Amino acid sequence: MKRRLSLVLAAMLVVAACGTKAGDQGSSGSDASGVKTDLGVTANEITLGVMSDLTGPFKNLSIGITHGNQLWANDFNAAGGVCGRQVRLEVVDHGYKADQAKTLYPQLEPKVLGFVQVVGSPIMAALKQNIKSDKVTTTPASWSSELLDNPYVMIVGTTYDVEMIDGLSYLHEQGMIKDGDTVAHIYIDGEYGANGLRGSQYYAQKHGLNLREVKITSSDNDLTNIVTGLRGEGVKAILLTTTPAQTGSVAAANKALGLNVPVLGNNPTFDPVLLNSPAANALDRLYVVASSVPVAADIPKAKEVLGKYQAAKFPEPPNAGVPYGYAVAEVWGTVLKKACDNKDLTRDGILRALQQTTSADTGNLVAPLDFSKPGAPPTREVYVAQPDGSSVGGIKYVKPLFEAADAKDYVAPHQK
Amino acid sequence: MRATVAGATANAPAKPLRWLRWSAWLVLLVVLLALPLYVGSEWLKAGQWMMTGAVGAIGLTMLVGQAGQLSLAHAFFLLAGGTTYTVLASGTEDGRVVGFGVDPLLALLAAVAVTALLGLAFAPVSGRLRGIYLGVASLSLVFIGLYFGQSADRLTGGTSTGRTPAPFALFGFTFDNSGSLVVLGVPLRQAERLWYLYLALTVIAFVLARGAVRSRVGRSWRAVRDHEASAAAMGVNVAWAKAGAFAVSSAYAGLAGVMTVLWFDILKPDENEFGTYGINVSIAYLAMVIIGGLGSIGGALVGALIVFGLPQVLSLYSNQLGIFTGSGAGAVTPILVSTFVYGAAIILVVLFEPGGLAAIGRRITGGLHAQRKKEGTSR
Repeated sequence: MKRRLSLVLAAMLVVAACGTKAGDQGSSGSDASGVKTDLGVTANEITLGVMSDLTGPFKNLSIGITHGNQLWANDFNAAGGVCGRQVRLEVVDHGYKADQAKTLYPQLEPKVLGFVQVVGSPIMAALKQNIKSDKVTTTPASWSSELLDNPYVMIVGTTYDVEMIDGLSYLHEQGMIKDGDTVAHIYIDGEYGANGLRGSQYYAQKHGLNLREVKITSSDNDLTNIVTGLRGEGVKAILLTTTPAQTGSVAAANKALGLNVPVLGNNPTFDPVLLNSPAANALDRLYVVASSVPVAADIPKAKEVLGKYQAAKFPEPPNAGVPYGYAVAEVWGTVLKKACDNKDLTRDGILRALQQTTSADTGNLVAPLDFSKPGAPPTREVYVAQPDGSSVGGIKYVKPLFEAADAKDYVAPHQK
Repeated sequence: MRATVAGATANAPAKPLRWLRWSAWLVLLVVLLALPLYVGSEWLKAGQWMMTGAVGAIGLTMLVGQAGQLSLAHAFFLLAGGTTYTVLASGTEDGRVVGFGVDPLLALLAAVAVTALLGLAFAPVSGRLRGIYLGVASLSLVFIGLYFGQSADRLTGGTSTGRTPAPFALFGFTFDNSGSLVVLGVPLRQAERLWYLYLALTVIAFVLARGAVRSRVGRSWRAVRDHEASAAAMGVNVAWAKAGAFAVSSAYAGLAGVMTVLWFDILKPDENEFGTYGINVSIAYLAMVIIGGLGSIGGALVGALIVFGLPQVLSLYSNQLGIFTGSGAGAVTPILVSTFVYGAAIILVVLFEPGGLAAIGRRITGGLHAQRKKEGTSR
């Protein structure tokens, strides 16, 4: 027994000494033109990571964002790239499962300079410590201001809390609610809902609104009972931080019960598929606040992106993810150019370039962005839109980009 | 044990087989010990996830297979274990949550103890109900866990942001990226260190479970499972045997819960009934146990490899090889493929080999099995 054991151990040691995985770590240094590089950058390529949900519950939006990212990469490379390098996307699918993302991350992370897309708040939560310790700048497809305690998180657009504040000021301005009214906020428990609720609580406190908080889970799909209860309480408006299916249920109940109050939703509450659902006729009181434009927005840049999308013959119908994905990548382009000007394409260099970005222009695909204030949302501007079956993306503006005075004063949870 | 020794001396062929078996385990262990020096951290991460599943599945297979009590509450005990560890080991972080900053090893042991007590507290229910009724009753614990996770946000950190568990540490050596420890030219960082921790925990869990199953305790569980009245007639305290099995199984789930939060680097209660501590996880553990073969400790390990390992391995490979790269409605993806494989595995096992993979394994090593059956120490 002992001899066998020592033989095996000796054999293992010999093998071990021959070839372990030692020495396959990334190289760092400067190239001929004096540009510093470390991970994810070679002599002629910059690799950006995409951790998307191509098969799970958010696949429609995620596929749109991924195609938008790719359209931008094509344009950016055609225009010559940056620092003599072309951009390449490395895409993986986690199917909206945090455990999958957690194993895929160490496979992908050493190959990329940064993440241009990471879908989903559960995934962002699971990867939070990794992103910090690997110092890898990441754009989440999730808009919670709670994420901003991590300097490496770059949110493109505004956050759910600010959306709510801006949206409530819009309802106020239009005379649909007034100080002291009772309003209800139906929200999904979790990062998404809690962040939206934070905004409505702030606004309610400032304006003496009587806020009814209704906590639900993302799998509750019939909200008729809740709306019936709210009718009894005489609410003047319903606020939603929910899934599109839940939005449909609330809108339908709102109409069927004769309550007919305005319904205000965060940007993920609306999906064009609602227009083909039984709730389609009940959507006329729904107002959606968002900071990135719908796919068919009447903006030259959005039309250009949509044209390129159609020319690229992607099999999926376009959705709001496409212009958003393009815009996010455009911001990355701005940051990469700045990092290139600083002659520093390392991960540290990207963070520095991001913090120097006080005006990222996306051709109005997203409101102008300012990343120089740690912990603060990069913009507080939103537009208000209503569902409209006759437009291509199923939604039309009722108020262009604006920033409410209350949103300006609001202090985000991790704002310094 | 005495019977085994007597049998082995009476039947000479058993001896070489046993040596073969021992050396096979030994070689496996040495390979597992050397693995971090050779494979990338993504594979280690996948391996750690399988070991987390294995520890939980070993606990469940003792309860469902040996003691004959169906439980769907495993996910609740995972949450309870993870929360206990995090609350005890972590600091207070800006006053948002409570924390005690206890030594992580003590916190881990306390997590196991607390979940064992919680399992014991369920004894009045588990002692009275049987079969599917017990399954449904235990499912209620998962919903209590869902409610608890959402409302006790001073403990769990809340569904919005969760909270970060303190990294595990043993006598001052932390299992994270701190410091530099190089073995044979390979820097041992979090992934490699956690691998050894998880391997140690899995081996301990495995050895203790085998010991329990082969001892008097295991015999009393099986007696109660097969016939309560005759077990009682033979002097087994039925109520205690049932409660004990539930407590042991819960303690294993509690340990798996600690491994889960350390693996994720975050404790984040679920937002709805599906998630890290939801019904789906309880069912996944039950699937491991069924695929592996009810009551078989080794089978639980293989079940964990299939249910927790397959999706991970498939998606890592598919990225490396560029297979299954489709997207959208009709795409064949690693996640879809692994879901089908584990669904099909359950159906095939239930239809053709109710004894699970363990029974197939036993048939392959048929000579040995027959031998041991003669000795009367089967299972």
